[in-house]
Amino acid sequence: MAFTKKPLAALAATALAATLAACGGGSGDDDNGGGSSSGKAEKGGDAIFFVGPRTVEHWDPQRMYIGRDLNNSGRLFYRSLVALPASNDPVEGTTPVPDLATDTGTTEDAGKTWTFTVRDDVKWEDGQPITCEDFKYGASRNFATDVIIGGPANYLFTYLDIPTGDDDLPAYKGPYSKKGQELYDQAVTCEGQTITYRFKKAWPDFPLSIAQLRYLDPYRADLDKGDANNFEIISNGPYKLDGDWKEGTGGKFVRNENWDESTDPIRKAYPDTWDFREGDTDEAIYEQLLADSGDAQYAVTERRLPPALFSRKDEAGDRYTQVESPYVDYVLPNFNSPVFKDANCREALKLATDRAGWIKAGGGDQYFKATDSVINPSVPGYQPNPAFADIPAAGDPDAAAAALEKCSAPKPVKIKFTYSGGTPTSDNQASALKAAWDKAGFETELDPLEDTYYAVIQKPDADFDVTWGGWGADWASAGTVIPPLFDSRINLTGDSNGNDYGNYKGGPEVDQLIDDAYAEPDLDAAADKWAAVDAKLGEDVAYIPLEITIFNFVHGGKVTGYANNVSVNGYADLAVLGVEK
Amino acid sequence: MLAYVIRRVFAGVIMLIVMSIVTFALFFASPIDQESFICGKNCSAAQKKETAAAMGYDDSFINQWSDFAKGVVAGRDFPDDPKLRETAPQTIVRCEAPCLGYSRERGDTVTNLIKDTFPVSFSLAVAAFVLWMAGGILFGVLAALKKGMLIDRGVVGLSLIGFAFPTFFVGLLLYKFVAIQWGLTEIPRYTSIAEGGIGGWLSGLTLPAITLCLFFMAAYVRMTRSYVIESFQEDYVRTARAKGLPERTVTFKHALRAALTPIVTMAGLDFAGLMGGAIITESVFNYPGMGKLAVLASTDFDLPTTVGLVILLAGFVIAANIVVDLLYAVIDPRVRLG
Repeated sequence: MAFTKKPLAALAATALAATLAACGGGSGDDDNGGGSSSGKAEKGGDAIFFVGPRTVEHWDPQRMYIGRDLNNSGRLFYRSLVALPASNDPVEGTTPVPDLATDTGTTEDAGKTWTFTVRDDVKWEDGQPITCEDFKYGASRNFATDVIIGGPANYLFTYLDIPTGDDDLPAYKGPYSKKGQELYDQAVTCEGQTITYRFKKAWPDFPLSIAQLRYLDPYRADLDKGDANNFEIISNGPYKLDGDWKEGTGGKFVRNENWDESTDPIRKAYPDTWDFREGDTDEAIYEQLLADSGDAQYAVTERRLPPALFSRKDEAGDRYTQVESPYVDYVLPNFNSPVFKDANCREALKLATDRAGWIKAGGGDQYFKATDSVINPSVPGYQPNPAFADIPAAGDPDAAAAALEKCSAPKPVKIKFTYSGGTPTSDNQASALKAAWDKAGFETELDPLEDTYYAVIQKPDADFDVTWGGWGADWASAGTVIPPLFDSRINLTGDSNGNDYGNYKGGPEVDQLIDDAYAEPDLDAAADKWAAVDAKLGEDVAYIPLEITIFNFVHGGKVTGYANNVSVNGYADLAVLGVEK
Repeated sequence: MLAYVIRRVFAGVIMLIVMSIVTFALFFASPIDQESFICGKNCSAAQKKETAAAMGYDDSFINQWSDFAKGVVAGRDFPDDPKLRETAPQTIVRCEAPCLGYSRERGDTVTNLIKDTFPVSFSLAVAAFVLWMAGGILFGVLAALKKGMLIDRGVVGLSLIGFAFPTFFVGLLLYKFVAIQWGLTEIPRYTSIAEGGIGGWLSGLTLPAITLCLFFMAAYVRMTRSYVIESFQEDYVRTARAKGLPERTVTFKHALRAALTPIVTMAGLDFAGLMGGAIITESVFNYPGMGKLAVLASTDFDLPTTVGLVILLAGFVIAANIVVDLLYAVIDPRVRLG
């Protein structure tokens, strides 16, 4: 997924979301999962999805990496071996169920080899049967990094039992160049309708990754035109695209007559059509939704209620829902900076950080909730990080000042905070942090950057002392949070620090903790091990957590079965949503 | 005359070449890793390197530009890698001359992207042009004829207000009140003539065209007024009156015709600029035209689309310049081309 330019925008692709005790809160015990705020859904009618100004980048399943698009496509037109049921229960909603496979996968060696059997009664939109070879071909496309660019292929590179070449990438180069094809044919095999994936190391939550990403979806080799298929949708779900997808405008989905409801335990496919409208501004979308007039009565969106219209949320009544997002924002001391090489200076920064001030400057507690870990509370492995849990949200200026006395840098301690700026809100938030840091004895220089932000902070020799980051888990595992952000072995590659913007090097101890957590076959035990890694990161002040973004949504008055389910990261669950006729 | 046209066209082509080089140069001079935008998050350094190679960004600036130029002249096949074309012929996309490139982000040739978006921008430009020219000239002449009177002051005052409000503000205001709250028009959405007939096409265009035309109309009212007033003070108008010509003939055949010359120049250039896309209006009303495409392309650092749009827009402006200069000769007999 593309880098975001603003701190408030979501960075990551998918993760889990928990429903807040607002209008959208639900117990998860109704037919439609949780978070429901409208009547029972029935077949028929025409539904609308306002995509908003952030257009869909890819509909190619192997290239998709934005939570909204992964969720929506998985609910309407793409199926995979397994999927998540429509539920807001934190356990049920994150436990895969069979979808195109007959079960949720079997492993005889604690996750090093996974086997699935594809159902023999499922079809593509043109009536062709979905075969094991389609799954094998789909997975192979991830390796064509010169054609299929932009997806979450990295996970497969790390795990699938294919040797790494001189270029630090797998020796297999995908189905287009076919270089190293024999390596892939050994790692992924088909016997009849049974597909087997062989990994270098155990991957206990592999099925969950299939359920929450689309990178292992099946694909039709005979219809593949490489990146020219970016917006082509070859459906195997309840809806198919009617005509072309037009970037900036959207597209209309109609029923796929080759989808058999009896083979699908998840998708209810209530509306007759789905009109995806792309490109409207947030203000235009919400003026229509708040007025609840015309087409907007049948619409849902993943766009957040813009701050300028927030005071009007009561106009929407119970059509307004509020849920915690899967995203966490945090700041990072730069371990390469002369100041923050010293653990005492990092300790002082941690104690001085005013999360409450940051939140207030960002719009308040309707938009953010203070947090104490980089792992979102909805992800297994989250535990209040002991390093941050006891610090007041506004920081502890006195303790920070005392800690700063031990910091070896000359006083006042001059630091540069490089952040993703360009909006009054981001500048106000940065100023709030500066005020608290300066109060403790730092002298903070604010350095807002816009388009060049990531290019600058990814340079290991950049001269910032503190920077900002945002992240969400790719699936419900802390293994998709901590290693991508803090495993120096994969991030620090000489001329780039990857996602480890603070240039943190955990050393052998942290490396071992990460390897142990990865290798743990029991997912509950693995979650505890990830929590232990997180505790160590807190001890080292590898990061300082700020807040969890909160989603604020309004949906149309004629939408039925509306639910912000945990299985779709707190977005509207299109699998169970209907509209009045 | 023909020699003049050939000379101007030749100069225009040189200008387009220079503009394409400048756009390439600016793109690669930017401190941003362009490949990061398509490679996405969780993209390792090795992947980024391979992405840059696949996009052609690892090649020299000169080579990239000359590939582009060859495509314009002779067409081009994508992907660029001949080995990949050989092993995966199903992925080949033929881009016929004049090929402006292939967007990896959008999975289509720039020519196709322009074909899709041009009718939208053109429709909007035509509708706004007709409105602002009719209104601008009509009210401008009226104000000039009634110089110093209440009508003149009213027209000039209103045009000042129209000129002062930014397009995005007027657009949002019309959108919010006229379309959403009062429901006087449908929610503006572009409908082609093939889909919705003339009625549907015009109905979708109403609010965006009004928004776009207001700014221009205000400027044209003031411009027309001052040119017509100036024209009335010319010797030939006095002569025409002295000859005893009817006032209508003096106004329309002598004064207005002379006053129109600079207005035609401006109108041609403004119209040409708009054909390249009205960025703000298209964004406010979510019109999928070239202006909106330009915003999308620049947001995700899509070089081929950006270069293509720059060249096209520059082409429109250069062509309009030539046409306007030729029209001068028709409108104003004093001007002779040579």
